[in-house]
Amino acid sequence: MRELTFTAAAREALAEEMAQNPAIFVVGQGIGKRGGNFNTTTGLYELYGQERLADVPISERGFVGMCAGAAMTGTRPVVDFMFLDFILDGFGELVNQVAKMQYMSSGRLKMPLLLRGCIGVGGASATHHSGNYYPIFAHLPGFRVALPTNPYDAKGLLKTALRTDDPVLFLEHKSLLNTKGPVPEEEYTIPFGQAAVVRQGTAVTVVAFALMVRKTLEACEQLEKEGISVELIDPRTVAPLDVDTILESVRKTGRLLVVDETFGPCGMGSEVAAQIMEKGFDELDAPVRRVYGAHTPIPYSAPLEQAAVPQVPQIAQAIRDLVAE
Amino acid sequence: MNAPNKEVLLSLYRQMLVIRRCEEQLARSYQAGLIPGACHTYVGEEAIATGVCAHLRHEDAVFSTHRGHGHALAKGVPPRQVVAELYGKSTGCSQGRGGSMHLFSPEVGMMGTSGIVGPCILQATGAGYSFKLLKTDRVGVAFFGDGAVNNGAFHEGLNLATIFNLPVLFVCENNQYATEVPFTYSSKNSEVANRAAAYNLPGVAVDGNEVLAVYRVAGEAIERARKGGGPTLMECRTYRTRAHAEGMREAGYRSIEEIESWKARDPIPAFRKQLLARGYRAGELDRIDEEVKAQIQEAVEFAEQSPWPDPSTLMDHIYSRSGA
Amino acid sequence: MAVEIVLPRLGWTMEEGTLVEWLKQDGDPVKPGEIIFTVESDKALNEIESFDEGVLRIPADSPPPGTTVPVGTLLAYILAPGEAMPTGRTTTAVATTAAAPTAAAAVAVSSRRSGPPISPRARRLAKQLGVDWSQLKGSGLSGRIAERDIQAAARAPRVSPVARRLAQEAGVDLSTLAAQKPGARLSRQDVEAALAAPPAARESAPLSSLRRIIAQRMGQSSRETASVTLFTEADATELVALRQRFKEALGPRQQWVPTYNDLFLKLTALSLAEHPALNASWGEGAIQMHRQIDLGVAVDTEAGLVVPVLRQVDRLSLQDLAEQSAALAENARTRRLKPDQLQGATFTVTNLGMYNIDAFTPIIDLPQCAILGLGRIALRPAVHQGQVVPRHQVVLSLSFDHRVVDGGPAARFLDTVRQYTEQPHLWLGR
Repeated sequence: MRELTFTAAAREALAEEMAQNPAIFVVGQGIGKRGGNFNTTTGLYELYGQERLADVPISERGFVGMCAGAAMTGTRPVVDFMFLDFILDGFGELVNQVAKMQYMSSGRLKMPLLLRGCIGVGGASATHHSGNYYPIFAHLPGFRVALPTNPYDAKGLLKTALRTDDPVLFLEHKSLLNTKGPVPEEEYTIPFGQAAVVRQGTAVTVVAFALMVRKTLEACEQLEKEGISVELIDPRTVAPLDVDTILESVRKTGRLLVVDETFGPCGMGSEVAAQIMEKGFDELDAPVRRVYGAHTPIPYSAPLEQAAVPQVPQIAQAIRDLVAE
Repeated sequence: MNAPNKEVLLSLYRQMLVIRRCEEQLARSYQAGLIPGACHTYVGEEAIATGVCAHLRHEDAVFSTHRGHGHALAKGVPPRQVVAELYGKSTGCSQGRGGSMHLFSPEVGMMGTSGIVGPCILQATGAGYSFKLLKTDRVGVAFFGDGAVNNGAFHEGLNLATIFNLPVLFVCENNQYATEVPFTYSSKNSEVANRAAAYNLPGVAVDGNEVLAVYRVAGEAIERARKGGGPTLMECRTYRTRAHAEGMREAGYRSIEEIESWKARDPIPAFRKQLLARGYRAGELDRIDEEVKAQIQEAVEFAEQSPWPDPSTLMDHIYSRSGA
Repeated sequence: MAVEIVLPRLGWTMEEGTLVEWLKQDGDPVKPGEIIFTVESDKALNEIESFDEGVLRIPADSPPPGTTVPVGTLLAYILAPGEAMPTGRTTTAVATTAAAPTAAAAVAVSSRRSGPPISPRARRLAKQLGVDWSQLKGSGLSGRIAERDIQAAARAPRVSPVARRLAQEAGVDLSTLAAQKPGARLSRQDVEAALAAPPAARESAPLSSLRRIIAQRMGQSSRETASVTLFTEADATELVALRQRFKEALGPRQQWVPTYNDLFLKLTALSLAEHPALNASWGEGAIQMHRQIDLGVAVDTEAGLVVPVLRQVDRLSLQDLAEQSAALAENARTRRLKPDQLQGATFTVTNLGMYNIDAFTPIIDLPQCAILGLGRIALRPAVHQGQVVPRHQVVLSLSFDHRVVDGGPAARFLDTVRQYTEQPHLWLGR
């Protein structure tokens, strides 16, 4: 099977959907002629022109609000934030308008709005270009949040996002953009709320998000040699979150570790732990453990940046500790 | 643009009365404890919603603000649905989920009143973007007060509308106070219409209590937008003769004389006088008065008799049915 | 078209207000916009204007100015000229707001766990496999008993070769033995102990609360009192005849016939009246003489021995005594006694006569100092007026606490009881 980069796979999804649906248009900075800061729209301007690949001035509240209005009136906007951190200037429009519009109108208005951007720590992007924020969006009713971790998932999830009438946050970890993976030629979509069992195992279940999936996989290779069999689950979407797959795995292994780059308090680990505790208390052979990022703004210098987020040795040790408990 | 004919003139008169009588009734109901939450009445400003919406079709999209009953009614939401909504009944236009500040009726192009100041400007711009992309001659209209003019949404929205040349009408209802804060306090520039120049789009100031003036200016702007001529900013100078919200006391931020002077410029008696001067008979106008009274009375009875929403529907419509 | 004028709601949270002053009077004409009255709420004065045109009518029962009333209270009407005031209210009910959900109270509790920590999964497995984990130790770093520890405990036992051979020869089942000592290594001694133990055919019943109480009280009494039991035999022929006559006279009239127990209770109480030293309690460094004679009456119930108390038995008529004792016994059997009916006896009477017991050594019910046991009334040969004739005899057994009272006084008391038993006419009138 052919191999594509994460970026190319996502772009292919966008291109295919734009070809089929003339109501899709993209706004952002540099997404027109330039083809996107992260090459998200390369080649599309030449096909569809300025109306559908519209560069906009730096006014996040403005163009998020504008795209909300457009989504309410028959078109399907894609807001490309480049760095997801910039979404925060439009947070008011997102929370009070975008997330609530379907509910307030009792379903008579839809909100087919796609919000995409690069997340995550790495490359010394420092405190204003390293944000994740997805636990916040997962917490609020009204949003769907997709977190692809490989090219196959990126294409499948983006297609689904461009066909749903709900507002979707499509978040791409910047350290995954150049990773390669197999992508079929045939058309496929991946539904939201369906986790992937990336690796089968018997001793412990690990749930990981975004880049942490890859880091955990690395740890698993080492642990295999030590005789520790890890089952690794990638939820792929955090809203909706596929708890059933995690629960089924915990029934098998009895031990659960959640690995996430975002902060501990009120984070993904807290949510997964609470749900598994509620639904699978008697399956647990040990407390649910979490590995999460340091509760700090992200610093610039390499040793500090590395210390701020979970790394492979830390993940491996956490798994060893949990198994030995 | 043609001068309005009899049908139009009488419908303008009727529309203003519908808004007035409905607002008076809502104020009464509020004081009787039948309307929980907030109720910002539009008394005194009827000419603006009426004069603008007279040019709009159901497919045009109106985005309004917290003082939005007048826009909802003028855009075509039946009074019974507005009253039922404020009573919290399931037959309200938002099925009881919204109340005064979240009136929705997309079927007639009423895309929401809002509890937040500013988003309506952005969403109207977005509607303009859609209508242009879809190659229609529909327009988006935003109604907002002087309190929105210093907000980032005003700046960002007008800028986006102008750089993309979108079919949008921005209507500022300058009633000179944002709650109790005078516009002259919040702005060094005490005019609104002249701000359009900063975005290189046309800005027109008009007497907001003169329905025919509003009608004329709005008509020109909407026509221009439909023909691809881009956005317009309209400043309607007006006044609300009731408190900012029902139940709020007049805290002394404006004088009785000022309120009385604007009551004397009430758009409805003024228009009635004009109609009589044009030769329309008082009897015909009285008959409209009576019909409107009966219509509002029926709306109240409808609201009173309507059922409450079923709590089992609480979680409906958070996501679409096609949600992946 | 009467328009109701009510106390208006002037704010989101306003629930009541004070009608301050009418600015228009009953009968005045009113135009829309005119101020008709003032209302005070939250220390602010509000002028209320009329929406309607007509005549203001203030009913006689309208709240007087100065009163505070709830929002929505009817104050007046605006009527068309000549229109009559309505008699009943017509407004619809005010919408009620939903009650705010109460947050669950947070409770901080200290750990209730007893025994070693164990994971939920291991606990579940242990229950499934019937493994007793209370003596296990967790193999993990946390010390928590985990699934693997339960699995290990449930597997084949570790047995010494000697023990294994012995078990084989003697036919002892090692897996059963292992289940009793999970995780342990079975030795020769374990097998020998299993051989020596009787077959398990025990049926153990958990202790009821009543049994616990009885055990505690009996044990304490036995340990603490210096108990001596005196026996004497009384001729009960007269008593038997008396009872027979009661039966014949009162029975047909559906009146309570005194039982032998009732008769003995009465004569014992009267005996105690003459020998107050026996109606005393051993207390804190003092002997308490009781003013009342409250008799505890031992009742054998399905659940166990219960001793309800009859108050002031010396003052009760036989009739009252009979009724009360019957009621108490019934309530005792159906466990309907109240706590105060079981406390405060000064002396106890216990009757085993119906079980054909002649004499016994009753245990004193602390803090009382004595207890009278009654045996069966049986026909026995006796010497009466020089002849050997069959006479009804009954043995009276008196246990007394020698710490409180000596043998002499106790014997004298018992003799009085004997006397009253033999000659009921001595006390019937009392």
